[in-house]
Amino acid sequence: MSVLARSVGNAFRNKIRTAAVVAVLAVAIGLALAMLVANQAVGGKVQELNASVGTVLTVNPAGAQGFDGGGEPLTTAQTATAAAVPNVVSVVGTKALRLETATAASASTTGTTAQQAGPGGGPGGGTSVTTNLQAAIDAGTLGNRNNTSGSTGSGNTGTGNTGTAPTFSLPITATGIGAEVDTAGKALNITSGTGLGDYTVASTKALVGTTLATKNNLKAGSTFTIAGKTFTVAGIFDAGTTFGNNAVYTTLAEAQALAATPGELSSMVVTVNSMANVDAAKTALQTALGSSKADVTQGQRNLDTAVSSLDSVKNISLVAFIAALGTAGLIILLIMVMLVRERRREIGVLKAIGARNRTIGLQFVLEALVLVALGSVVGAAIASVASGGIASALISSNSSTAATSQRGPGGGGFGGAGLPGGGGPFGGASQLLTSVTASASPGVIAAGVAAVFGVAVVGALVPALLTARIRPIEVLRGE
Amino acid sequence: MIEVKDLVRQFKSGDRTIKPVNGVSFELEKGTLASIVGKSGSGKSTLLSLLGALDKPTSGDVVVDGVSLAGLPAGKLTEYRRRDIGFVFQQFNLIPNLSAVDNVMLPMEFAGMRKAARLERARSLLEQVQLDPEKQSRRINKLSGGEQQRVAIARALANEPKLILADEPTGNLDEQTGEHIIELLSSLSRDHNTTILVVTHDRSLAQKTERRFRLQQGKLSEETVRPRVAAGA
Repeated sequence: MSVLARSVGNAFRNKIRTAAVVAVLAVAIGLALAMLVANQAVGGKVQELNASVGTVLTVNPAGAQGFDGGGEPLTTAQTATAAAVPNVVSVVGTKALRLETATAASASTTGTTAQQAGPGGGPGGGTSVTTNLQAAIDAGTLGNRNNTSGSTGSGNTGTGNTGTAPTFSLPITATGIGAEVDTAGKALNITSGTGLGDYTVASTKALVGTTLATKNNLKAGSTFTIAGKTFTVAGIFDAGTTFGNNAVYTTLAEAQALAATPGELSSMVVTVNSMANVDAAKTALQTALGSSKADVTQGQRNLDTAVSSLDSVKNISLVAFIAALGTAGLIILLIMVMLVRERRREIGVLKAIGARNRTIGLQFVLEALVLVALGSVVGAAIASVASGGIASALISSNSSTAATSQRGPGGGGFGGAGLPGGGGPFGGASQLLTSVTASASPGVIAAGVAAVFGVAVVGALVPALLTARIRPIEVLRGE
Repeated sequence: MIEVKDLVRQFKSGDRTIKPVNGVSFELEKGTLASIVGKSGSGKSTLLSLLGALDKPTSGDVVVDGVSLAGLPAGKLTEYRRRDIGFVFQQFNLIPNLSAVDNVMLPMEFAGMRKAARLERARSLLEQVQLDPEKQSRRINKLSGGEQQRVAIARALANEPKLILADEPTGNLDEQTGEHIIELLSSLSRDHNTTILVVTHDRSLAQKTERRFRLQQGKLSEETVRPRVAAGA
């Protein structure tokens, strides 16, 4: 019988005690693993936020956002100025268009000559062009109310808007982009088909949102028209929101050509190399572009609360993981010390018949690892069931504070004002908090179990070393 | 050859100093079968523990084949116990959750013997001490006291030691099995040149040893030196 076999046998010598020890260990190990899973999930989310939105600055024309406001448009030349600002790693220009059916376009232009006016009536940065696509969103109460108030408040007082207004049809947002990102700087989630390739050159390929594609029976390879020009659907994207999916992306050059405003931008998405440099980059960018020409807004500001809250959850879960790990180690230490004391005479016998100290020590360490292995199996099962709930409980308790502190003037953001992009950088921080999914991946569980075994070895070494102090004369005690 | 030189072991008990072994000296030639008799508490087990390097003497020395135990480090003493000594304890001291054969294999495992070889030898030894083959795989706590004693003797023989130290080896055996064990020990000392020192109350066993010592108040005196009586006589 080998040392290992003897250790396994010893671990089951007292089955009731073994079951009790394994149960206690399983709870500690399960908690440790659940906390590790939560920690990894939250850490991943924080990294994702930092990498995608947390370091993004948005530049709009001074006095304008989306299709609202006024002032002078941004130009392609300003992207070079922005790119030269320290710590800026990329600058992506966008050009927003408003797509309307021919019927809706003629209704909205009755009494006016300009095509620049949107349904809100303001001069804005958006340009209305016709399309054969039907919007995926019904106007409903909000759309009709906004259309009416827009007509009244923004000076679009043509005869067509007095008397009985025709049923309003929501426009579709088309955005020309200089890279495969949305207006929040987040990579587009293309669910079928492909991207547009080179986003800087004019192209008749387009990306269509999922709901818009469904509404118009489009799929990759289908065609539709914008301003009488035929476009081919290269891919379908999912922006994650109903509004965001009622949209079309073209290349930046193509959108500028459709709007007949070459070199003009609606906004710029500026990515900074790290969150730590965002504040400095924002100031430098504002200075470089000029306060009278551009408004630089900081998506990170609103996400600070979310990231801070997630960091808090991450820290709590890390501390809880270490505490649970330490508890498991302490349990092993105490159990093994008890077993060593209980088996003093037996250890004396083994020494009397020639066992080396290291053989006996190894036997006790292996016995501890057998108990830990059993505890880990049960603990991993507990963690796989409980980690999601524990992570949610931790996050929800923190997100309530975060959500409260997020409410403010910028809370609605321009996610609802006209540009697609998953809610925009100013909105949905509380959604980000609750969108953390803690699943017990085999890799994380394996890493956690490895840590548990490491702690168990340390916990078992102390009692194993104690066996070296037991003298073989113990064998004669009681004789 | 074993030389015991002025061996003393003393303990403190409150203000008193107890000397269960007090200036013991003797020599045993290789292959000698010897016995120590004495009253309970006379220091017989203490003397055995000193000879078997389970305990360290307060003074004096035990020299085995010219090697002084007093000068050996702990690791060498472990090696000495593993290679040169076979213990038969009064209370057997077997590992309760192991089978009889596993208990006998333990010293061989510690000596680095291969599994197949130690299994074969363990079964052979258990047959020599007349343990039924079907009981060899039973756990120790499923065996009677006599059967456990036989397993303990088989374990002491496992590594073919130079010296077997036996504390009441026949104390828990019936007369017939006891006779067989005496015969076994006797043949070991005779045929394998193994030195055997037995602590016993069994006068018949003591009479069958070549040399008989009496331990009284820590002092050892030799009662008899005579040719060995053949086992069963």
